[in-house]
Amino acid sequence: MDRIRITKVNEMVEERIPDYKKDKKRVDGRKMDELRPLSIKVGVLPNADGSAYLEWGQNKVYAAVYGPREALPKHTQDPYKAVVKVTYRMATFSVPERKQPRPNRRDMEISKVLGEALEQVIFAEQFPNTEISVFVEVIDSNAGSRVACLTAASCALADAGIPMKDLVAATGVGKAFGELVVDLDKNEEDAPDAVDVPFGIMPNSGNIVLLQMDGLLTKEEWAKLVPLGMKACQDIYKVQKEALKEKFILSEVSEKSVEAAVEDKAPVADKPKKEAKEAKAKKVKK
Amino acid sequence: MKKIVIPGELVSGERKRLGSNVFVVDGKIYSKVLGISEDEGEKAAVVPLEGKYFPQMEDVVIGVVTRVIFAGYNININSFVDSFIPRSVMREDLKKGDLISGKVNYVNELREAEIGFPRKMFGGEVIEVTPVRTPRLIGKNGSMLELLKAGTKCDIVIGKNGRVWARNGNTELLRKVVEFVNANSYKSNLTSSVEAFFKAEGIDVSVPAKEVPFANAKFEESEVISEESEVLPENDSDGQN
Repeated sequence: MDRIRITKVNEMVEERIPDYKKDKKRVDGRKMDELRPLSIKVGVLPNADGSAYLEWGQNKVYAAVYGPREALPKHTQDPYKAVVKVTYRMATFSVPERKQPRPNRRDMEISKVLGEALEQVIFAEQFPNTEISVFVEVIDSNAGSRVACLTAASCALADAGIPMKDLVAATGVGKAFGELVVDLDKNEEDAPDAVDVPFGIMPNSGNIVLLQMDGLLTKEEWAKLVPLGMKACQDIYKVQKEALKEKFILSEVSEKSVEAAVEDKAPVADKPKKEAKEAKAKKVKK
Repeated sequence: MKKIVIPGELVSGERKRLGSNVFVVDGKIYSKVLGISEDEGEKAAVVPLEGKYFPQMEDVVIGVVTRVIFAGYNININSFVDSFIPRSVMREDLKKGDLISGKVNYVNELREAEIGFPRKMFGGEVIEVTPVRTPRLIGKNGSMLELLKAGTKCDIVIGKNGRVWARNGNTELLRKVVEFVNANSYKSNLTSSVEAFFKAEGIDVSVPAKEVPFANAKFEESEVISEESEVLPENDSDGQN
């Protein structure tokens, strides 16, 4: 009896652990270099100078930017440049077990790392004695929340009109179940051989601004992983670009928007004629 | 052609004179901010769409008194540093919350602005707009400002720091129009649509003759100045000959 039971348990264990080399597909059906569905909306919080909302798979993140404003307390001021202060927080309901709202070691570390990444892209020397505050709040999370926050924060900074060299696009890359993968989710992050590398770049120059590693990789794996991350970040950059340009479409002021303004209604979004036609055609197809 | 650029996006690959909000890497010109760039002409510049007020010399600003001390007044001009006006400069005494208008005399390396010719503003109300969009409220050679004055019969002062002060006349209508211009600041034919706005409200605004050429107003006024400056040296050389 005992023997039979043991073999059954072994079978069960074998069934539960996936092997990506055999399957050629991930647990959630993605390809190895495929990102989770990503969408960004800019200018969502009217009280902030700049803001962004990001949904990336199950991750949901708000980013708000205030400043440049006077840095307080005064001893934090730098007469040569602006100080970038990032505050990363997770909502108590963002993880399966309630998160203590008090900022813990992890929150402080991520705040510091994100601040240093964003400092690379901001022309901070233009604003002496000031601070640029970035607040990122994780509403829902499923692995890769720090890269989601960095991606959202850089969009919020651009929305606030702060001079920057470039945006920052970031993603998680790493290894799970025997294969190199992009944008790990929680299952893959908990895999027995998991290696998680948060990877953030300036997409135009290709400079790396965020790089951490949890686990071990061989030199060969590392050489394959970096191009994977670069390619994924370029895809993310495209989404960021679209989100920022979506708000401002160059066109003439339409009669409809004048009418709406006269009647004190919400502003009407003017679309160029071509796009409007395409949108109509799409609707008809559906 | 005008196009929207985001930070780090290529504005021009050619050698050009550098305008505002651009930087150069390896001989190529990139944008610093989210804004509108134009690749024609010999100047590469980006007009920002969002952002705070950064004081510059000769700007007309509207300030609010935030603190009164023995020596003078601290003035909030919507920048990240308060300005200071000594008591001796003002004819009237100011209280906290009073409005003043003035011109920026000088900006130092810490972006602190020195305000010249400060005057207390009596009565009126203030409409706040995005500071980078105030050029469109003024228009080329003040065409939009004239239109606003004609349409609402208000006394208007537009501060470059994103504050519009108005007194007398139909200030409620002015608020509506200013919000409309603020929301549509990046679009073309704004002046004619504001005319349409006034018409829809039943106000007849006769168009001054000089306004027509500026219907498709460009954002940069500095281009006009640059043409003049190119012409000037030639004239000088002619004179010498």
